Amino acid sequence: MSSSTLLYPSFLSSLNPNPNALRFSHSSIFDPSRLIFAGFPKLGAIVVKKRTPLNCFAAQQPHNEGTPSKGWESWIRHGAISPERILRVIAGATSSPICQFIESPRTLLHSVDPRIKLIWLLALVILPARSNIYIRFGLVGYLSILSISVLPTQIWMDQLGRVALLSGILFVMLGFGTDSVPALLQSRTPPPSLIGLPDIPSSLSGYSYLIMKLGPLQLTRKGLSLASTSACLSFTIFQSASLCLTTTTPEQLASALRWFMVPFTVLRVPVAEIILTLLLSLRFINLVFDEVRNAALGIVARRINWKQLTVMESLDVFFMYTHRIFKNIFNHAEQISKAMIARGFRGDSAKHKIYFFHDSSNGFINILSLFCLFGLICAAVLLERTFI
Amino acid sequence: MAPHLAGSPSLSSSSVARLPLRSQGTIAASASHHCSVATQDRRAAIEGSGICYSVTTRQGRTVPILKDCSLSVPTGQLWMLLGPNGCGKSTLLKVLAGLLNPTHGSVCVNKPKSFVFQNPDHQVVMPTVEADVAFGLGKFNLSSDAVRSGVSKALDAVGMLKYSQRPIQTLSGGQKQRVAIAGALAEACKVLLLDELTTFLDEHDQLGVIKAVKNCVSSPGEVSALWVTHRLEELKYADGVIYMEDGRIVMHGDVSAAVSFLKEKQARYLNHLDL
Repeated sequence: MSSSTLLYPSFLSSLNPNPNALRFSHSSIFDPSRLIFAGFPKLGAIVVKKRTPLNCFAAQQPHNEGTPSKGWESWIRHGAISPERILRVIAGATSSPICQFIESPRTLLHSVDPRIKLIWLLALVILPARSNIYIRFGLVGYLSILSISVLPTQIWMDQLGRVALLSGILFVMLGFGTDSVPALLQSRTPPPSLIGLPDIPSSLSGYSYLIMKLGPLQLTRKGLSLASTSACLSFTIFQSASLCLTTTTPEQLASALRWFMVPFTVLRVPVAEIILTLLLSLRFINLVFDEVRNAALGIVARRINWKQLTVMESLDVFFMYTHRIFKNIFNHAEQISKAMIARGFRGDSAKHKIYFFHDSSNGFINILSLFCLFGLICAAVLLERTFI
Repeated sequence: MAPHLAGSPSLSSSSVARLPLRSQGTIAASASHHCSVATQDRRAAIEGSGICYSVTTRQGRTVPILKDCSLSVPTGQLWMLLGPNGCGKSTLLKVLAGLLNPTHGSVCVNKPKSFVFQNPDHQVVMPTVEADVAFGLGKFNLSSDAVRSGVSKALDAVGMLKYSQRPIQTLSGGQKQRVAIAGALAEACKVLLLDELTTFLDEHDQLGVIKAVKNCVSSPGEVSALWVTHRLEELKYADGVIYMEDGRIVMHGDVSAAVSFLKEKQARYLNHLDL
């Protein structure tokens, strides 16, 4: 018997997503006539007898026989993580970084001085972490309204959608996860009923540590505080940075940063060098995006038949891809340094003046935004004192 | 300093422009030499004599890239540098810009000079358009108003004024190239060294850029330009042409001489193919 068509046991089908494609074409060292394929416990009866070439094809197993017809592989969508797909996604990605400056339409935020924007950014990092829950949610609402009113519809929907999703996940996970497994993790003390002591009297003012209970999950005051702090902090950091980046040019931000850092020159901090490095980095980000995209496009365009490659060969292609990206990036860096020399840069950042243009700042809007910031800080402090 | 062509009465810049270079003879210097002249009393803005440039491979083998190149570009003129791929045009331009040191020969180029790279992504160093154009002015001690005015004029010359605040990554290849040219124009330099500027541009942009450079050269500031190109239709804007082959300058003259030279070369090629 040189070949057999066999009903395959389920454990073998679980190794291959397509059982029909499974085929043994190499010589077998066992006699297939001794095999009983009703179930794999019988495989113990395999007896090595002689070398016989065997072609083994798997017949499709009927789905209604009661045995599990699909293994774990059926949970993974076929081809979802193939190298081809990954490279196509990379090649099709945008070369523009997220939250890049939007020149038009010009909004109120475009007219705010970049230094005030930086102060606002700092305030929006500190306030959600230090202030009352009402201020936290108030800041989230304020930033959402500001984004909706200032940014074009597509932009704010994209930005708010992503940030809200992230913050929402954080809120739910931290809110319900903080006190939901207390018995296992916290208390070794027996409950009051066991030791004969009376229960702690309930609050007369209606205070309750537990806010909500959903089966095994419970939302407590500690959970709410942690969840609101984390979620609001994430929201305000990401959304305020997005708003700032979309309404401020990189040069304006760099100039504002330089204004704040100038006093540090007394301490011999190389401020000019830091600012130039920041600007070059901002320019270089999209070159890196371009390189990653173009190298992926180059591989996709060669139409590699990934199914014919072994794992090591596929890895080899990915290593070559990474190597090419780094090589091109270093080449870019070298060429840009040559261009800087050709354009008169002599290596001393302090002597090469970087010009920043500030024609967009509006005095009235600056004063208004500072007044709003002051009001917000006062409100946060007052609420904090009131609730303490 | 090695003697240069303009120093010799028999090899004045005008005569150099008309004669084939081989007939001029070469003046090779024993060591590499760069000089930049800030004064305007010389008639040639760009001069190189006996320029050789070679690289050493990892195996220790010396590969000559430029072989005894001599050239002279008069002040206030636009010259084109032609030749097949890999003949050494860009390398010669980089030597003239001072980015590479010649192995032998001497180079004299008026200052200030600007170099524009073939790939605009290599030239543009700042994240937004106006900041990049202003970058080259950082070496001068100028007021903000003067810089703003210079940047606006340069951007206007290349038709990019309305894009002044645009992030560089949102521009097309041709627009980036025009920003790179604006950066060179803003510096109000005496010599422009331009490496295949119009490679990424369509016909309209190509015309716009070449006219911008031509206007710059024709202005009273006595600006000179050496333009590397493969596009022969651009020759009608040139005052002179240099043709290179295999690291050597094989033709150096005015446009009519260059056209005759190219036609002769084409005829020889067709004869060779028996067409």
